[in-house]
Parts: sequence; C-alpha cells; structure tokens
Amino acid sequence: MLKADNSVSFKQYLFVVVVTWSLMFILILRYFQLQILGYDQYSKKANTNRIRKVTLSAPRGLILDRNRQILVDNLPTYILNTIPGELKNKEKTFHSIYRTIGIDTLLVQKNYKKYYRGKFIPARLAKDLSFIQISKLEENKIDLKGLYYQQFPERYFPSKARSSHILGYVKEVDREIRNSLKKRDDYELGDIIGWSGLEKSYENYLKGKRGVQFYQVDAYGREAGLIQDLDPILPEPGQNILTTIDISIQKVIEKLMIGKKGVVLVGVPKTGEILGAVSAPDFKPDLFTGRISANDWEAVINDPERPLVNRYNTGLYPPGSIMKMITELALLENYEFDPHKTYNCNGSYQFGDRVFGCWKIEGHGDVDLTNAISQSCDIYFYKTINYYDLDILSELFSSFGFGNPVGIDIEGELKGLIPTVDYMNDRYGKSGWSKGALLNFCIGQGEILVTPMQVFNYTNILATKGNSFRPHFVKLNTLIGNKSLDIDPKHWKRIISDMEQVVMNSNGTGKSANPNIKNIKVFGKTGTAENPHGNDHAWFIGWMEKHDKKYSVVVLHENGGSGGSIAAPVAKNIFIELNRLMVSRNQI
Amino acid sequence: MIQNKNFSYTELPFKIIWSVFFLSFIGLGILYSISQNYEGPILSNPFTKQLIFLIPAMIFSFLFIHVPRYTIHKYSYAFYFIGIFIVILPFFSISHAGTYRWINLGLPFSVQPSEFAKIFTTIALARYLSDNTLHMNKFTSVIIPIALALIPTIIVLNQPDLGTSIVMMTPILPMLYWAGARPFYLFLMLAPIFSMLTAFNTLVFSIWALCLGFIIVMARPVLLISLILFFGNIFLGLLSPLVWNSLTTYQQNRILTFINPEKDPLGAAYQIIQSKTAIGSGGLLGKGWGQGTQTHLKFLPVQESDFILSVLGEEMGFVLILTVLLTVGFMISQILKSSFESKDRFSSLALIGIATIFLAHVFVNTAMTVGLIPVKGLPFPFISAGGSFLFTSYIMIGLVLKLSINYTD
Repeated sequence: MLKADNSVSFKQYLFVVVVTWSLMFILILRYFQLQILGYDQYSKKANTNRIRKVTLSAPRGLILDRNRQILVDNLPTYILNTIPGELKNKEKTFHSIYRTIGIDTLLVQKNYKKYYRGKFIPARLAKDLSFIQISKLEENKIDLKGLYYQQFPERYFPSKARSSHILGYVKEVDREIRNSLKKRDDYELGDIIGWSGLEKSYENYLKGKRGVQFYQVDAYGREAGLIQDLDPILPEPGQNILTTIDISIQKVIEKLMIGKKGVVLVGVPKTGEILGAVSAPDFKPDLFTGRISANDWEAVINDPERPLVNRYNTGLYPPGSIMKMITELALLENYEFDPHKTYNCNGSYQFGDRVFGCWKIEGHGDVDLTNAISQSCDIYFYKTINYYDLDILSELFSSFGFGNPVGIDIEGELKGLIPTVDYMNDRYGKSGWSKGALLNFCIGQGEILVTPMQVFNYTNILATKGNSFRPHFVKLNTLIGNKSLDIDPKHWKRIISDMEQVVMNSNGTGKSANPNIKNIKVFGKTGTAENPHGNDHAWFIGWMEKHDKKYSVVVLHENGGSGGSIAAPVAKNIFIELNRLMVSRNQI
Repeated sequence: MIQNKNFSYTELPFKIIWSVFFLSFIGLGILYSISQNYEGPILSNPFTKQLIFLIPAMIFSFLFIHVPRYTIHKYSYAFYFIGIFIVILPFFSISHAGTYRWINLGLPFSVQPSEFAKIFTTIALARYLSDNTLHMNKFTSVIIPIALALIPTIIVLNQPDLGTSIVMMTPILPMLYWAGARPFYLFLMLAPIFSMLTAFNTLVFSIWALCLGFIIVMARPVLLISLILFFGNIFLGLLSPLVWNSLTTYQQNRILTFINPEKDPLGAAYQIIQSKTAIGSGGLLGKGWGQGTQTHLKFLPVQESDFILSVLGEEMGFVLILTVLLTVGFMISQILKSSFESKDRFSSLALIGIATIFLAHVFVNTAMTVGLIPVKGLPFPFISAGGSFLFTSYIMIGLVLKLSINYTD
C-alpha cells in the first residue's frame, strides 16, 4: 500500500502554499496595525491601565473660636475597602469582619452593593473605623484577604458648645452633588464639601488643595510601588478660620435655651462680631458625620420643632414692641411733635369702628414718650400716629436694616417684610386697607416680619448710634459698615436714655434684665409679639455697658409669652456671664 | 525492528530543524522573562517546566527518525484506536474546573491526551486516503475520513475543548484536497457550517441560499441529490437557533463576547482587550526583555500559554513578532514542500496533515491574541508553555523529519 505514489499536482501545492501565506500575512498585517499604527493609542492605554492616581486628601482647615480654642477638628478615621475580585468568599469575609470588629454584616453588604463599581475597583464596606479596629483587622489579615483600608479625616467637635447652626456640616461628594457643583473639577467622589453654615461659607478657605501620588498597580489593583518618574503633588492643608464666637458664651446661651424654642444672639455692637448664637432647638454637630445612631438621626429629622432650621437666619417673626424706638424716631423727627406732652392711656383706643387695646388692659394712665417706651404703652403710639405716615415709618424701618438681609456670613438668610404703601396696595388693593394698618405697624405688628439677625443688627445700630458694622461670625480684616444713618445726635441721646429706663427704671418692662452689678448699665427693650400661630413671642433686645465696652444681646423665646417676664431674665443671665468673663479674662 | 539501510543524517530537512530550534529558543526566552517574578517552587515555574519537557521531547522526536515508515503505516489504525481510548480516559478522572481535558498519571504534571490524539487521527486519515483502491470522485470516499476525524473530535468537544476539536477537524480539508477529492465535495462539507452561521441574518442567509443553489446547479449532480443537498442545508440553517441553544453558556458567551467585546469587559473580552493593549504598547521594538508592564503587572491573562505572543509583542515588539511569524510560516512551507516532493502518497498526506495542524494552532492562537477570533485556548507551537503540546509538536516534527527523507526503507 505504501507503494501508492504521490499524485499531488503543482497546482494543488501552489494553492495550499498561497493559502498558508495568506493566513500568515493576515496575522502579520494585524500585528502591524496594532503595534505600528496603534502604538500611541495602546501605550497610552497601557499606562492608564497600570498607573493609579491616588488622591492625597488635604486636611480640612480647623474652625477656631475667638480665643483660638478648637470648635471643629479633624479626627483621623479609617475607611474599609475591598477589591471585589480578590474576595475569596464574600459572605465568609463579611462574617469575619463582624466577628473581628463587630460591624453589622447587613450594613457591610449594603455598602458593598452601593459602592461596587467593578471587580478590580475598591468598594467601600464601612467607614469611621478607629485605629483599634484597623489593628484588629490587621491581626486577622489571613482570614480577610481582599480588604484594604484608607485614612480619612472626619470632622470632629471637641468643644462642649454645640454651635451646630453656626458651624454647619459637611457632606461626602457623591455623583449627584458633584454634577451640581460649578467647580466640579475641584472635587472627586468621596471628597468632603461644606454643605451648610460656616463649613459652606468658607469652603474655599477650609478645603485646601488635594495632592496626588502615582502608584503602579497590578491587574488586581494591588499597589506595586511608586512610579519613579512621576513626582507626587503634595496636598495643601486647608486654612484655619478664626471665628468671632466665644465658646464660654456660646455654652452659656445654649444652656439657657435648653428645652426652649427661639434664638439668642450675643455680640459686640462696635464691630458686629457675634460672640454666641443659638437657634433652639438645635442638634449635635456630629449628626452628619455618621457616628450617630440611626435612632438619633430619625429623632432629629422627624422632630416637629425642626431643629435643623436655622431660626436666626431663616425664622421670620413679628417683632412687636422692640420696633418702638424706630417709631419714637419717626415722632422725634417731626418738629411739631412734643415729647413731653402726655397722652392718657386707659387700655383701649377707638379707631373707626375698631377698638385697639394696650397690652396693659387697665391702662398706663398719663404717659409721655419716655414712659411710652419704658413701659411699652401702645395707646401712646396710637394717639401720636398723625405725626408721620406709613412711608416715613417704613423708610425708617428699612434704614435700620429691616426688609433686607444683613449679609451675615452664613447662607440662607431671609429678608423679612417691611410693608410700604405700594406693598399694601399690591396686596389688598387701594381700597382694601385703611390707615388703621399703621396702628399695627407703629408697634411692630401687622404684616411686619423680621429675622432675629436683623434684630441683632438693629440692636447694634442702636447701641452704637448708627456706627456699627455688619454682623459676622468670622473675624474680618476689613469690617463692612451698615447703611449710614443721618440722625440728630439729640434724638440718639433720647432714644438711648429711654432704653436705659426700660431696664434700669423700676417701672420698666425690661427691669428683670438688670443684673444689678456695679458699673454696669443695661439698655434694652422688650417685645411681646402677637402672632397668628400661637402664644406671643417673647423678645428682649439690648446691650450692657461697662467702662467703654458694650455687648449686645437679642433674646427671642418663641411662644414664650411676655418679653419682660420671659425674655428679659434670659438676657440678665447673659449679662452676668459677660461680666464674669470681663472680670476673669479682662477681655472677651 | 527493521533498520533502514541507506540512511544519512545529512538528508534531514535542516531548514525545518533550525526553525524549530529558533522558535523553542524564543519560547524559552519569553518564559524566562515571565518567570522572573514567579512565586512558588522553582520546578513549577513556567521556564523550568518547559525546559524539563523540552529535552525529552527533543530526544523523542529524534527517535522517530529511526522508526520505519512501514511501521508507522502498518500500525496507524491501531494508534488511532489508542487515541480514541486515551481521549475518553479524562472522563474517568477528576474534573478541572468542570472540564475533562487532563489525566493524572501520578506524575508531577497532568497529561492532555487530546493533544496526542491529533497525530493519531492525522496518521489514520493519511493511511485511509493513501489507499490505492480509493476512488476520490465517489462521495462515500469523503464520508469515511470525515467519520474518522469526527469521532475523536466529538469526544474532545465534550471535554469540553472547542479549540482542540476544531484543530482535529482542520487537517481533513487539505488532506482530502491532496487526495484528489472534487472541490465540490469539499464545498459540500463546508456548506452546512455556512448554512448554520448565516441563518442568524435573513439577508445573508438568502444570499447564501442563492450561492448554494448556483453551485449545486453548476456541479450537475442528479436532480434528487441536488434537491436533498439544497433543502438539507436550508433546513440545517433554520435549525441552527436550536443548536445555538444547546451550546453551554460558556461557549455561547465566548462567541457572544467576540461579536460584542464591550459586553463583558472583565470576562473573555477583558483578556482580548488586555492582550491588544500589551501588543499595541510594544510598538516596533518592544519595551525590552522583562520590561513589559502589562505582563509583569499581570494585566495579561494566561500569559505563559495562550497569550505568550502578547508578551513577545509587548517586550520585543513588532520586529520579533514578524521574525517569529515568518519563521513559523517558513517552517510550515517547508513541510508542505516535503509533502509535495514526497514520493509516496501516505507520507505526503501525513505531512500536509501535520502542516495543517501547525497552521491551525498558529493561526488560531495568533488571531486570538489580536482579537481577530474568539478566545480559544490554543497554544502557539514551540513557544507556549505546556508539556503535552510541546511533546506533540516535537513528535510531529519527528514524523516530519522521518517522512521528509526520500528514503529507502
């Protein structure tokens, strides 16, 4: 059989050789295409494959009080990551995590799903791990293959003062947040961004500049050393910000407002610096760091008193009698008006077919302007209403900063409402309202709405005779002035002495604000603002004067009742504390 | 054993020998580079392992030169049945990741019998087709060789090993052509494959049906047979969606990923993408021996066997790739030349069969590394690590050397 001759023709041979070389040619051509024509593209790809940019996060700046005590610090915490492709047995590993450091398997599972982006990309399993927890994981590393951790500075609040609305909070930048940012290239997913309060207002100072380090990684995402020819860019830490807050005062006023609803603001009228600010109820500042339990979180979120709302910026309140100094000014500026003339208050006043009552039902008897202020008589102001008109009054309200945001360095400030003739016409129609509205406005009632921050600014203006600066939380090199006022010094003198009577006179409505301390004079005004939503709001505004130093205080107790009996005693406690600090530290 | 009388080593086709040495040398060089950061016992790193297999393989290959042609011819069917037997053996062994490709002989390594079965099948085919009494214009003369090749192929397909089973089938076409089969019959063999592949697109299938009809008419068989051939193919085409569903998901996925590589970036397509990246980033001269970042950072999968050319491409560049491909092409051409010049039909057929096996390996492996065809898991001759295939390759070279010598034994 082997004798069978080979009968292959040259044609057949040639055909097979041609087919063979054609196939080889295709392969060579394809290699040429990849290696020669596609070289640039693929070498770029090879580099992005292996080079991992590791962000070196810049520590966020600290927030300090006026005496450089730390309000907000950075706590080094750890994030636990996993590279999914390296997990041998997911369930078993998660259970090992639970056994080693007690983190709930369900939570880990949830995070895994949430942060999973690919087999070789690190996915977050847990955050806020302590150094001790990380050490424990390290000890059991054999059981826990595929786990990695990364340091992550978390905001931390070492002071006993909460200052929650002042400081605000930070958020982790997620996809949605990042897309909503104007400067989105400055942030990476997982970065921290100031989301409210000073954290937000001073974000550009606090955030610092992140650095980058270039690692070579293998196919499993494991680091295989630094890349020599790429120098790391070191992070620039954020700047610290020095606030005007005094932790001692802040602590005291927070304590005074426990269990109450309202606002307390304390400051330096001359500069506009805020020494303390409380919006009650408030919340623990670490509410947003994730170190707080789900229950506490729910409690804050579902609280009907809405602790997250910043009342001094976004709360709108009827001011009531605390506005009477402006009405007084309106009267004084009319040269026909005689401040010494007395008007009889019998407790009520008839206007058209309506009866307006004084807050003191039995009446004040004969009152002059000083008494009208110190005893807060409403009838006096009703009876003197012909000395000015609505436009004059609203103009004066505005000149004291009402109806516009004061420009505080915490976002979200509302502008309130100062009714003008135009406003009333727009709202009710030309014949829809009467001059009787002015009877409300002159005692700070009716449509008027103010924010406590505006009231604070107003108090500062009064305390400095119009020479105060804009309220602010962070120390400024250049202070920004308020709108200048053109008021006769005579009038200032009178208004201020009348305010002194409110507190220092034994008949004054604000007498319970008097701390009765030698060398201390207190000026003030109470307000008991009627409001359609419940009990009266209790107001006290004023300032204390010791030697040349003045400190202003605004107290608002929402639905607290009478300003004189509810708000004024709170102010008294603040004045006592201010004095104590002046004595002990010789300065605030 | 019958000794051949007038044998001289100078008659050996040295062009083939030098080519094989060159390729083996390149293979060792690349494996050495890969083994640099290999963790584990020295004896199990790809370079040492390959070196350990290479020496006996060469000796074995050399021994074949002394086996008389007559003996090979005489026992070719016996070897064929041994081949069938050994490809069934792995099914009685422990499965490796759900596959039954390997048998454990108690040695420090496993043996993949399907590699050896390729040779036995080819020899058996050569024996059958070299029969003097065979009339190649008869259709039945085509059916039996197909059956011979199909039996081991189907077994291997069930291991499952798509790549090897394809390689087992490939020699049959050129061997039939060599034996003088009518090109029309070869066309009829391929027709069902085309019918199945084109069935997934109505337009392409219609064009194919037209071509099929035209060719059948031109070949002028009996009317009844024409009709059977035509409608049989159409029917098969319509049936192929069912066939598709009977494939394992693993096979389906490989095909699907090939069609749309973006679909599964971390599965089979991940391998192709990484391979292309490694090759492309090598450029003209490569990143240098042992300097391939994609290789050494393990982005490149199965780099010591399936994707060894990608390592070569990355580290040594297009120049060496071109050299290797030209060398292997040259080696295959030399085998073809021997086949053409061979005096007896058996040798000629065995030689072209072996050439085809080499070509199939080279083409499938190389095309796979550059994303021209789906990932198939076929090694590159003489370069890829892997003891069984290295042995098979050297045995085939031994046969080539033996059958190339024109003679007398």
